[in-house]
Amino acid sequence: MKRIFFAVSFVFANALDLFAQDKAIEVFPAAPYDRFIIFQALALFWIGIIGLIIIIRMKLKEIERIQKMGIDQEKEDTPLLD
Amino acid sequence: MSCQRLKHWIEERYGVEEMKRLAKHKLVPVHQYEIWYYTGGIAMFLFILQFITGMVLSFYYIPYFEHANKSIIEIVTKLNMGWFFRSLHHWGAQLAITVLFIHAFSTLLLKSYRKPRELLWISGFILLAISIFFGLSGYLLLWDERAFAAVRVATGGAGNLPIVGDFIKAFLRGGIDVTGDTLTRFYAFHVSILPLLTLFLIGIHVLLVQYHGMSVPLSLEKKPQKQVPFFPNLFYKDLIIWLLVLGIVVSLATLLPPEIGKKADPLAPAPENIKPEWYFLFLFQTLKLFPGEIMGLNGEMIAILLISCGILFFFLIPFFDRKSSRGEKSVLFTWIGVLYTLYFIVMTIIGFVS
Repeated sequence: MKRIFFAVSFVFANALDLFAQDKAIEVFPAAPYDRFIIFQALALFWIGIIGLIIIIRMKLKEIERIQKMGIDQEKEDTPLLD
Repeated sequence: MSCQRLKHWIEERYGVEEMKRLAKHKLVPVHQYEIWYYTGGIAMFLFILQFITGMVLSFYYIPYFEHANKSIIEIVTKLNMGWFFRSLHHWGAQLAITVLFIHAFSTLLLKSYRKPRELLWISGFILLAISIFFGLSGYLLLWDERAFAAVRVATGGAGNLPIVGDFIKAFLRGGIDVTGDTLTRFYAFHVSILPLLTLFLIGIHVLLVQYHGMSVPLSLEKKPQKQVPFFPNLFYKDLIIWLLVLGIVVSLATLLPPEIGKKADPLAPAPENIKPEWYFLFLFQTLKLFPGEIMGLNGEMIAILLISCGILFFFLIPFFDRKSSRGEKSVLFTWIGVLYTLYFIVMTIIGFVS
């Protein structure tokens, strides 16, 4: 009798899980330290992107300056050294 | 082999210097609408990103209905940086489709489809359709209840087309309903058939752009044009924009990782307030405008027929717009372009907020 009682109560205790709300799946690391590292990496990533953009823009301005002066054009009768 | 010798070895066989000279000779017009030239480059960059992230995800994804949803949960929760790659793939797809729509509508409004660029428009339109199917097939791979219901609605809608509808529905589903077979089929489309078609069409599209050069709007065509070399001027500007887009995709992927729904259950009722992906919202909203029955005929079938006619007209627009082909102003087609663009935007917004 005692065993049946425990078996039935065990079944009911497990059945309670059916009423529990579905746990949302963590799609982003939950640990505060991991989150900090990720946001820090994102900030560094943007600093890198901004740095690269500044370098490319400087290079582009220099190219446009040279093109404006016309010294990027090779003349047809330029004597070659080799 | 020293660097110089390697350079010489390559030069002797492939004439890289000649290619460099060609790139320098390719000129691009500079005018007030030149910003729209960059949308094509952004779309290509996002495609490359999608290919890379997709390949990484395919190492771990299991395309079988019993394990598909679980394998995504494992990618996101157990793999190192798995959540990031999945999120990057999701946001890359959203942005790629957004940019493709912007590219298509800007081409439509600037009438860049006109003679001799009809094939460019056709190849671009097919690429847009393929990208939308990429989105739909990728959505089902999640195998969650929302994706399941959305694909059931989308494939069911295709089934309403007269004559070919039933065949298309059965071909897409791999049976009479969405099942595990549909998942395997969509996986095949997503990772092999569509990427091959995309690569082929991108190749043709880029080749045609090189052949015809950049299109100049009709209003500016007769004015004297300032031109700059593609390399390095435009190439560096492209690089700047690609870096910015990469930053935006990475930020979205980090700050707004997409959720994973409950595993799909074919026997369960569809979840409430189900909506398709945003790029289907204008179709979804249009379908809602029609009653169930019109003069004794199936309302949904009539709606899908009208939508198909609208899309076919959009696809063949370069052949209808005769005035633009002759280099004349065509106000009617400007208004048609504005109407298409506004309809898409307004219906998408209504579908999103309702």
